[in-house]
Amino acid sequence: MPEKNEIILELKEVNKSFGGLLAVNKVNLSVSKGELRALIGPNGAGKTTLLNLINGTLSVSGGHIFFKTKEITNLSPHRISHIGIARTLQITSLFSGLTVYENIWTAVQSRKKFFNPFIRAFKWQDVKEKTESMLDLTGFKDKAHLVCSELSYGDQRILEMGIALSTEPTLLLLDEPTAGLNSQESMVLVKKMRGMLSGQTIVLVEHDMGVVMELADNISVLHYGSILAEGPPDEIKENEEVKKVYLGSEHA
Amino acid sequence: MFIQKGKSFGFILIFILILLLLTALPFFVDLFYQTFLTELFVWILFAISFDLIFGYTGLLSFGQALFFGLGGYTVTILIRKFGLNTELSLFLSIIIPILFAWFVGFFSVKLTGIHFVIITIIFAIIGNIIGDTWTSFTGGADGLTFSPPPFRLGLFQIDLTDIKGNYYFVLAIVAISFLFLRRMIQSPLGKIFISIRENEERARLIGYNVQRYKLIAFIIAGGLSGLAGGLYSLTLKYASAGYLHWSVSGHAVVYTIVGGMGTLVGPAIGVGIVMSLEHYLINFLQATDLVVGIALVFMVLVAPKGLVGLIQSIFKKGETSA
Amino acid sequence: MVSNLAVAILNGIVWGLIMALIALGLNMIFGLLHIINMAHGALYMLGAVVAWYVIELTGNFWIGLMVAPLCVGFIGLIIERGLIRTIEDKPIITIICTFGLMLAVQQLVLMIFGGSPRRISPPIAYRFPLFELQYPAMRIMIALISIAMMIGLWIFLRKTKYGLWMRAVVQDREMAVALGIPVTKVYMWTFVLGSALAAFSGVLAAPIVSVEFMMGREVLIMAFIIVIVGGMGNLEGSVIAAIMISLIQGVGALFVPPSIATVFALAFMIIVLLFRPQGLFGE
Repeated sequence: MPEKNEIILELKEVNKSFGGLLAVNKVNLSVSKGELRALIGPNGAGKTTLLNLINGTLSVSGGHIFFKTKEITNLSPHRISHIGIARTLQITSLFSGLTVYENIWTAVQSRKKFFNPFIRAFKWQDVKEKTESMLDLTGFKDKAHLVCSELSYGDQRILEMGIALSTEPTLLLLDEPTAGLNSQESMVLVKKMRGMLSGQTIVLVEHDMGVVMELADNISVLHYGSILAEGPPDEIKENEEVKKVYLGSEHA
Repeated sequence: MFIQKGKSFGFILIFILILLLLTALPFFVDLFYQTFLTELFVWILFAISFDLIFGYTGLLSFGQALFFGLGGYTVTILIRKFGLNTELSLFLSIIIPILFAWFVGFFSVKLTGIHFVIITIIFAIIGNIIGDTWTSFTGGADGLTFSPPPFRLGLFQIDLTDIKGNYYFVLAIVAISFLFLRRMIQSPLGKIFISIRENEERARLIGYNVQRYKLIAFIIAGGLSGLAGGLYSLTLKYASAGYLHWSVSGHAVVYTIVGGMGTLVGPAIGVGIVMSLEHYLINFLQATDLVVGIALVFMVLVAPKGLVGLIQSIFKKGETSA
Repeated sequence: MVSNLAVAILNGIVWGLIMALIALGLNMIFGLLHIINMAHGALYMLGAVVAWYVIELTGNFWIGLMVAPLCVGFIGLIIERGLIRTIEDKPIITIICTFGLMLAVQQLVLMIFGGSPRRISPPIAYRFPLFELQYPAMRIMIALISIAMMIGLWIFLRKTKYGLWMRAVVQDREMAVALGIPVTKVYMWTFVLGSALAAFSGVLAAPIVSVEFMMGREVLIMAFIIVIVGGMGNLEGSVIAAIMISLIQGVGALFVPPSIATVFALAFMIIVLLFRPQGLFGE
């Protein structure tokens, strides 16, 4: 277990309110290097909101967010991306009219500093190589020239992760990668994730408990915007409070 | 597909052939058609500059008329009132619209979707009203005429009051602008524009400062629209407040939709088809906008990717392209 | 001066009420279908033109006021069924499509109706004294009819089944579908109603302005301004904004050239768009 490792992400007393409603309530969270942290909780517990706060899609109402030792509270999403945090969305978000290759390419070239308007994109040898190696890693080599709206839904979910990975993130925020997949497809995805994401520091929001138990190093349970419990999967499984809140509302 | 090199060779071949054809054409057609073609080239430049902002970046700007009119007025006023030479005036007909596009774009790119469309219309209307009202400077709806001195570049000199000379001059600039835009679309910067069109949120999430790149696209499109306006008034030796009317932007919309947005070639073809259509129909009905309007509705419903898209889908069934 | 001001205020209110009707049509369509109808100004113009023909034929203004909205409403029906329905989920494409429609309708009218402006003489010729000036009673009549129309619309939206459906669809489309509301039908009738309203205001405006094929172009832009300032989807906001803007324009034109007044109105609108995109009266 990587407890003693360097801390990658740290949230201190983070609040978010919409109007008068507290969606996230004084959340403290710290994720170490190489850890896969799952965020679980019933619908409306504030999981996606929390991801939105971390990557700057939403601004916090209070509290601080640190990446490594640097404060990143309320930076804009594109800045956050360059700092090293990548993100996938619950509803598949791709450049849907472009090919798989172009999707990955666009993500890979985002790490460049200057976008020369007078050269051809394909002259960028390093971007090209990196794109091809990402295609290898994600297993899209044969499908590289398909327009991504032609991909199966499961493949689209994987491609979105591939895009996120192509920005060479230190931390990956995954928002329900199995959303909309049946259990068989979910298992395929999990297998794929194991290969693609090994060693990666990840915060994973997930509904499917099977997936969570399979992948997570540690689990944080959110309930009404606060952290209810935290610990390794086995511990969480046995936690009485979690059972009451989570299993009660989800599997009743 | 932007990683293929072969296609580029084919394109250059066709491009050179078309250029040769157009270079030879003035020897076979009369002055009326030379002027007609010159105007057509100008509208091609206007249409492809609009294609950059709409077809490639996904922003429907009805504000291009503002930059077109500014370009036209820059050339007209600088030559007529300040006696500036043609070279510098034409150069400034890019720079001044760029400055205005910077200002307009700074506000506009903060908005998305319908709001963006409307704010660009409003800016164009303001420009039009000012042009209409400030008659001592702009000549209002009646406009201003002028006579451009010869264009000089080193030893090279071209008389723009000569219709044939003007024809070649405009042809050369439009051809260069076309190549410039095409290269930019293929460049890493162009890939960013396209990614914004495809999915703004995703582009932001992978680290692109979307507003900044929208502004860049807006400024470049504004500068080229200005150049088109400058060339237009050099061709007609005239500019009026009518250039600034937002419905002028509508021309670009028509050309781009008919030809195929996001293709550069499409809008150019669109200009050719629509203007020829108008030219021949004007003998039968005074109201060419009827046909243009119906063509627009028809294309949107039947072939939203325009003629180029239609042709592509016929020729490349099964094959994919981008 | 007092009489000039009084006339300016009255004119501002009368014109504001007409504009409110136009903007209401535009805004209903926007609020429900989320599309910008660029042809709305052309439909307004079409209303006036149809009324002109009807009045030529029958010699009766009121028949024109009845028939023109019906005709244009029917045209709206064809537009919605034939065009809008197939592209309603693509707002930008809809703008382009209705822009094409606008061009076609304008030019069609130019071909049939001709380019020169024509007048519809007011059915009530009486003028009443207003300080030292005379004010046409017809304008007051127009204002009253507009108000009656708005009250009718309000009752329609609040008290009838269709009105309830419309409001439900605006609130939450998916929920409305789940509740068994025939959403596509609601869309269609909203578009028809919006078109008819545009035509109705066209006829009302006709005795004040002249009837010509371009009369809808500037009105369209004004209607946009009103809808945005009042708030997209906010019908009450549109009415307030329409009267407010017309008053400011009318009264302002006494002191500065009208074009300058318009530029200020437009600049104001840019500020609203940037800082209060939900409109001045939104929450």
